[in-house]
Amino acid sequence: MAKSRAEADHVEQEEPEEPSENGFVREFDHQEEESERSDAVGSSEDEGSSGEGEKDGEDDEEIHQSAEESDSSEDEVAPRNTIGEVPLEWYKDEEHIGFDITGKKISKQARKDKIDSFLAGVDDSKNWRKIYDEYNDEEVELTKEEIRIIRRLLKGRTPHAEVDPYAPYVDWFDWEDKGHPLSNAPEPKRRFIPSKWEQKKVVQYVRAIRKGLIKFDKPKEEPRFYLLWGDDSSVAENKRHGLSYIPAPKPKLAGHEESYNPSIEYIPTQEEMNSYQLMYEEDRPKYIPRRYESLRSVPAYENSLKEGFDRCLDLYLCPRTRKKRINIDPESLKPKLPSKKDLKPYPLTCYLEYRGHSGPVNSISIEVSGQWIASGSTDGTVRLWEVETGRCLRVWDVGEAVQHLAWNPLPELPILAVSAGHKVHLLNTGLGDAEEKMRIKELLHVEEVLTDDAGNSVAAVSWVQHEKHDGITLEHLKTVSTVEWHRKGDYFSTVMPSGDSRAVLIHQLSKKHTANPIKKLRAPAVSAVFHPTRPFFFVSTKKNVRVYDLSKNKLIKKLDPGLREVSSIAIHPGGDNVIVGSKEGKMCWFDMDLSSQPYKRLPAHPKDITNVAFHRSYPLFASCSDDCTAYVFHGMVYSDLNQNPLIVPLEILHGHTSSNGRGVLDCKFHPRQPWLFTAGADSVIKLYCH
Amino acid sequence: MPKHYRPPGKKKEGNAAKYITRTKAVHHLQVSLPTFRKLCILKGIFPREPKKKVEGNHKTYYHTKDIAFVAHDPLVEKFRDIRAHKRKVKKALARKNRELADRLLNRQPTYKLDRLILERYPAFVDALRDLDDCLTMVHLFAALPAVGGERIQVERIHNCRRLSHEWQAYISQTHSLRKTFISVKGIYYQAEVEGQKITWLTPHALQQVLTDDVDFNVMLTFLEFYEALLGFVNFKLYHSINVKYPPLLDPQLEALAAELYALCRYVSAAPERQLGDSQAISSSENEQSEDKKVDAQTDESDLRLAQLQHQLPANEPGTLMHLVEDATGADDEDNETKECKNLFKKFKFFLSREVPRESLLFIIPAFGGVVSWEGDGSPFKESDEDITHQIVDRPTQGHMFLSREYVQPQWIYDCVNARTILPTEAYLVGRVPPAHLSPFVDNEAEGYVPEYAETIKRLQDAASKQVLPMPGIESGDLDDPQNLLAEGIIDRTEASEAAEKKRKLAMLEKQYHDELNMELQGITYSASLSNKNLQSSVEDVQEDAPADPEQMEKDTRDLSMVAMSRKKRRLYEAMQISKERKKANVNILKERKKKAEASKKE
Repeated sequence: MAKSRAEADHVEQEEPEEPSENGFVREFDHQEEESERSDAVGSSEDEGSSGEGEKDGEDDEEIHQSAEESDSSEDEVAPRNTIGEVPLEWYKDEEHIGFDITGKKISKQARKDKIDSFLAGVDDSKNWRKIYDEYNDEEVELTKEEIRIIRRLLKGRTPHAEVDPYAPYVDWFDWEDKGHPLSNAPEPKRRFIPSKWEQKKVVQYVRAIRKGLIKFDKPKEEPRFYLLWGDDSSVAENKRHGLSYIPAPKPKLAGHEESYNPSIEYIPTQEEMNSYQLMYEEDRPKYIPRRYESLRSVPAYENSLKEGFDRCLDLYLCPRTRKKRINIDPESLKPKLPSKKDLKPYPLTCYLEYRGHSGPVNSISIEVSGQWIASGSTDGTVRLWEVETGRCLRVWDVGEAVQHLAWNPLPELPILAVSAGHKVHLLNTGLGDAEEKMRIKELLHVEEVLTDDAGNSVAAVSWVQHEKHDGITLEHLKTVSTVEWHRKGDYFSTVMPSGDSRAVLIHQLSKKHTANPIKKLRAPAVSAVFHPTRPFFFVSTKKNVRVYDLSKNKLIKKLDPGLREVSSIAIHPGGDNVIVGSKEGKMCWFDMDLSSQPYKRLPAHPKDITNVAFHRSYPLFASCSDDCTAYVFHGMVYSDLNQNPLIVPLEILHGHTSSNGRGVLDCKFHPRQPWLFTAGADSVIKLYCH
Repeated sequence: MPKHYRPPGKKKEGNAAKYITRTKAVHHLQVSLPTFRKLCILKGIFPREPKKKVEGNHKTYYHTKDIAFVAHDPLVEKFRDIRAHKRKVKKALARKNRELADRLLNRQPTYKLDRLILERYPAFVDALRDLDDCLTMVHLFAALPAVGGERIQVERIHNCRRLSHEWQAYISQTHSLRKTFISVKGIYYQAEVEGQKITWLTPHALQQVLTDDVDFNVMLTFLEFYEALLGFVNFKLYHSINVKYPPLLDPQLEALAAELYALCRYVSAAPERQLGDSQAISSSENEQSEDKKVDAQTDESDLRLAQLQHQLPANEPGTLMHLVEDATGADDEDNETKECKNLFKKFKFFLSREVPRESLLFIIPAFGGVVSWEGDGSPFKESDEDITHQIVDRPTQGHMFLSREYVQPQWIYDCVNARTILPTEAYLVGRVPPAHLSPFVDNEAEGYVPEYAETIKRLQDAASKQVLPMPGIESGDLDDPQNLLAEGIIDRTEASEAAEKKRKLAMLEKQYHDELNMELQGITYSASLSNKNLQSSVEDVQEDAPADPEQMEKDTRDLSMVAMSRKKRRLYEAMQISKERKKANVNILKERKKKAEASKKE
């Protein structure tokens, strides 16, 4: 604020001058003018700025300085005006400009207008020397001498040329003749005795030099290199100390593509180059091969220093670890298995097909003698086939899609248990001789009386005489998924996956009685199997397999396959080994004596395993899956407890076609021959023989 | 952390006690981070990967023993001394005590790395094993501009140049160079010294750019160690061939930037000097006879050079040099060295201005050739009648001598890699030379053999058998690479066709066998079932199981996969993946090649 005001002052002061000024003169004698002006104005400025603080101090200083400089010139000529250092504004409106030395008013001179002054300037060649003196209201003409002085001042020299500012100093005072020193004090003693401290310092130095602590000559140059490694014979000395040294990996050697002139196939095409642009920067190849026609056209590699630096960083910043690089033939990873020829016989090729069903065959079962095979399909029929000829002997229509069926294991009781929907039918197949037929009829008939009695109770199952075929129907509350017989042929179990506490039921055929021994299962039951020799009962839920002792009626073991969803279970005829198939295509082999964890997991199929089966006499087991294949394995169990079972994959059986995303739905072994039956979703049953 | 001091609550074993983070290590050593870096670089200490990172995943861990190893090194104390000394000088200068400052500057504390080198490489072989990085770095710095005021001292660069030349002179004179490769990054060399394969990279002899994105402190620290290491290695190597180290060079040749040549001559001459006077007498006769010729030359420098040449008769083929080499070399040289030594034995080369002189001056003598170049100090002039090959790299050659062949520099490199003298037709002036292939690639392992590699292979076979490469093809045809290439293609196609036929035959045979088997089985079946008559409702499907070999293959693979343990299966799968990747790369190459050929035909 203050500063702008000061500037405004300047402008005001300049204004009155303008008429008297000529363009030529102006730039030349600007300084002169300023000095005078400030001289004249100084007092008023002071007054004006006194109350305003120090902000405009700088401007003031400048003005004062210039005022001081002009002092000498003012001394020479006495001013005409005598008003002193008052602001000239006070006289602005007056007729006079002040008073002369005698006290008379000095009247203002008539002002020339601009044209006059210009004309005067043109006429008079000396006009550029003229300066208007506001204070005295007159024009002053500067002499040549004065102009010279101004010029010198402008150049920053002394005003008068004859003055030498750097004249050598002449010492006019003559010291010699003066009788008295400047100080009258007596000379101290220390001027006459050697300094103790200096002496100490000297002694110090002398000693240091003697001792060799201070040396003045440059140290002697020793040869920089010598024979560092002498004889390499002593091995013990040549051991590196400290931790084990891990040498840095050597930089990768250049391949064909790094050549200055690689073959054409190493140079990426234009499209590939463009595709690099679309990649993320990390994925982009670091080096793009280029071809140069001749060696002289190869430029300097711009990244050489950077790459050297990166290598340095790798060497001292990268943690080093010893990694075992596996340099083996992948084929050597494959286990050494006994040759398949030694493991014969096993089912190898498809020998027979049983056609007749119109829907996917859900389940098959082979009669103990191995002469008959029964199959149940979703078209609601159960068919009985002769194994060796493939002749369809009988067809029952049960009305609902058959889930599962099983032959009675007793050869003299050719009864077929068929689960279809909520019902389980016990069908009289009508095989065997007359005596047997009679007995079966009796067995399947007698119970009808009892059924009426049992029907009144709140049992989960009601035993009813079948209307169409001669047999019994067990009415369940929920859908029955599997039916399995006990080896003695009297008991059989049914599983209802959604049956909660009544999921697993055990029925007695002779007494027409149903029991529910297992009340609590944590997960939905999948299937239940009897132990082939002992009174054990295997119930597989989706998560695990539970083993119950039926005689003590308690849980004795829980097998944990660690699979996502168990789909099927089969027990080795020896009774100590169990295989469990899962919906993720994996199969687990449990050795019951070994642990509750699987002895081996076999990731055989890419799709769900639908069923697994053991052979009764041969060391064979099989799995079938929705990927339309069945795997046959050799599974030898040794009587020696110390020897682990030997499992060898033998054969993949193809042949079925997929329908509705399902492949092979069931597989069973022939009880005596190494033959495998498979039931497919393509409504075909196949027999594979060796 | 020292053993005796364990803060309460700290572990005394396990990863927590065994490993120490970098920050803690720096605090423990009481040095600054740059000094710590320097110590690590010089001592060769590197971070380790603990099994369990106790202090966090993103930290650098050093082994406590490594840090203790550094802590006990006198170098730490030395670095502290240097720091204190610098402060003293600064103080003296600030007090305007020029005298003291000068005295201090005269006796700066210095350190030597010989002890460290011996500690890191107790045996000479260890040092050779780790020499790759050292050589690459030294050669890189030797190629940097030796300009004052840059971040690198000029003396360092000159030292690097000298060391690299000394190394090259040794390799060249002992004929231990094995492979060379011109890449875009520079020229790779592989030498074999004491059974160790040493590979290094020299940048192209062009102006190198100093970039800003590198930390020169780190690089110079590495260089410091490498300079010392290479010096000692060179000393040992020169010692082993009875040459004094450091070599004294002819200043004139040095001035002409032909240090390598000067060194080579020095090296080859030295054993002779030690062998005694007997040869000197014979050489003196030579000298006298040639001195007369020399007199004619008025130029003083020429005179001196000529005299030098007499003193060091390296470049007079078939004189003393020969004797020396036969005397020293013949007994302990292996076959490969002999082969390398005799590759260019009969040839005399002349280098034009525009070819990479340093590289060729290094390579050609390493393989037994005699070489000269255009410029001052060269042993013989361009007009020499004995020159067999002139290396040029220009679009056209003006004046041509009929007695010699004009080839591009790539010919030398390809000959060296192939270890045979390749026909020069493809490398003549103005032609685009055939593809330059890397000698470091194992084509068979890679699964793809470039075309020119096959050509070279055939030539090699031909050379080793000393017969015509292919029956029915005349030598003119042989020399023409185009013909050869075409031949190669035909050959390959033929071979593939033959293979195809073979496979088909095998398949047919197999099928036949299968069917036979099937029939046999059928018979047995029918025999077993003879008493039962087959009914019409049954379709007797004598399915020829999985007949196609692919299915069989897949089955066997699947079966073996089932039998494998999980760990092995994973490993196997990973191997298969890498195999697939390699295959895909090869396929890309093949496709590109096919496309290129197709476009060429059009």
